[in-house]
Amino acid sequence: MSFAVEAKEVVKVFGAIHALDGLTFNVKRGEIFGLIGPNGAGKTTALRIVSTLLLPTSGTVKVFNLDVVHDADEVRKIITYLPEEAGAYRNLSGWEYLQFMANFNTKNKSEVQEIVREAAEITGLGERLRDKTKTYSKGMKRRLLVARALMTKPKLTALDEPTSGLDVLHAYHVREIIKRYVKEHNVTVLLSSHNMLEVEHLCDRVALLNKGKIVAEGKPKELKEKYESANLEEVFAKVVGLA
Amino acid sequence: MLDLLKGFGNFLLKELKELIRDPKILLAMVIVPLIMFPILGAILNFSMQAAQETATKITVLIINRDGGENSTRFMEYLKASMKVFTVNVSKIEDAVPLLTEYNATEIIEIPETFSQCLAAEENVTIRVYSVFSGAGLFEGAGSSILDGLVEQFNRELAPNLVISAKSAIIKGQIVENVDSRMLGSLMLSQAITMPITIMILLSYSMQIAATSVAMEKEEKTLETLLTLPMDRFAILMGKLSGSIIVAAIGAVAYMAGFNYYMSSFMSTISIGANVDLVSLGLAPSLFGYLLLGLSLFVTLLSALALAVIISAFAEDVRGAQAIVGNIYPLIFIPSLLLMYLDVNALPIALRIFIYAIPFSHPIIAAKAVTMGDNLTAALGVVYVAAFTIIIMYVASRLFATEKILTAKLRFKGLRRRKRVTTEELQ
Repeated sequence: MSFAVEAKEVVKVFGAIHALDGLTFNVKRGEIFGLIGPNGAGKTTALRIVSTLLLPTSGTVKVFNLDVVHDADEVRKIITYLPEEAGAYRNLSGWEYLQFMANFNTKNKSEVQEIVREAAEITGLGERLRDKTKTYSKGMKRRLLVARALMTKPKLTALDEPTSGLDVLHAYHVREIIKRYVKEHNVTVLLSSHNMLEVEHLCDRVALLNKGKIVAEGKPKELKEKYESANLEEVFAKVVGLA
Repeated sequence: MLDLLKGFGNFLLKELKELIRDPKILLAMVIVPLIMFPILGAILNFSMQAAQETATKITVLIINRDGGENSTRFMEYLKASMKVFTVNVSKIEDAVPLLTEYNATEIIEIPETFSQCLAAEENVTIRVYSVFSGAGLFEGAGSSILDGLVEQFNRELAPNLVISAKSAIIKGQIVENVDSRMLGSLMLSQAITMPITIMILLSYSMQIAATSVAMEKEEKTLETLLTLPMDRFAILMGKLSGSIIVAAIGAVAYMAGFNYYMSSFMSTISIGANVDLVSLGLAPSLFGYLLLGLSLFVTLLSALALAVIISAFAEDVRGAQAIVGNIYPLIFIPSLLLMYLDVNALPIALRIFIYAIPFSHPIIAAKAVTMGDNLTAALGVVYVAAFTIIIMYVASRLFATEKILTAKLRFKGLRRRKRVTTEELQ
């Protein structure tokens, strides 16, 4: 069986900056895979390439055997992407926003209603979905956007820092949504985070990124054992030679 | 009071640093006006001088049916201030084709009884035919100068002895008892309304389009949008159509208000005769209206596509608005210029410049179709359509690639200099 995501020797150059420097990793179908590392490690660039937003300078990325450069239109049909600090349309209500997004996936009205109803349940926002999104708190907005990314049951969803900036309760709620949805609908998740403790509890496997390269990869438990560390933060520090 | 303003100085300093250090704001607020207004002033001054000079150097064809001493004296009087050619035709209609040959704008017909009446100190009426070309504010300048000369001539004899009866020549046809100067006043509202409407419509819609793209970037909704299973060209067309619709609603509201404003003082202008512009052929034909609509549409589309491209280089709404502001001179210059002047009265270099700006064409088309010159309007549509296709292609390429996310305006020189300064400080 092929992988959900296969990235081979991916290089991305912005002017003089090498954002990715020969990145290689595979994501298995139905797993939650985390790209973790400090700010500027190349996590967002990697997710943007997988999501067809950026073109790799060299190397290849395949999503369910579809090339993200040559088959970009096909890739977009089976993935969803949640950018870091993404916003919703300020003057649409949460409900309207979900409806607008669902309309891209199906023209069948009852299917749209079904998708939106399910998304509404995921958000847990209740009646507040009738309000304009500009009245939402950061946590509420993030819950809406995570629901948007999952509601169409994509084959792969790329989530960039899904809980960044959220308080403990909102972050917990978002993590629970992701875990539950993957289990129930066999969605593959590729997420990025600089919160290594959070990733440890959420991801089946992780890849540690530093300066555009993977410096370690495996299950959180295996990595901790291999590097004799109490948590992934310690693993990272040891791998990059800080400890 | 001092307590209330505590921290004001510190805060103001921060505000100024933030605003002045933004190169886009510096460019739009300081550099562009410093360059634009002197250029605009020079162009207007030059063009108005040129137009006034042309207007004062009028050429007149005279049909002298009298041949007496007084008519010769009258002609000599006119010759002192303008170019005069005597033509011998039996009917006034035969003199009309000669206007082009002599590059003249007025025909004066002196009646047989001229010398006799003046000798007897009786009133005599000369007939004055002025060409009406819909050229702008200086239309009818020749007719005014003639009035002045007739008045001066009268002063030497007796008041109101020579009376001039005015008629207009519109599109080569004589329209009796219609003063072309009055027609000019009547059409002035049209001459002002059209450029102002286009100016407002284009700048509003460009602002809307630029803001809507920048909002998507600022709110980080663009990234999500670009990963959806939809055609990216559809995103571009959606942006353009949305902006056109909102701008059109704005333009209708604006026009309604402006029309009311214009009619409030236009109603006080006396037309002299009961003039119906449609029957005079001074209203566009159905085809002319279609051409004008098409010209407006393609121009609007090109302006919006340009705004979308430009705003792609901004990171936020403020930046997009500042960058789009740099295009405004290209809208304002032709609008202001063509409000007062006929494009054909401009010097050749300026004429080419005005024709090259796509935003001039609806204004040129509006005047052209009113005068029945559909070819000029059609050629304008073809030119703007070609420009629009190129711009739309660039915009669609921009949306099809990662450039829409990664493009940024870079001020390399400024940055390099700043870095050097920082290094020196260190």
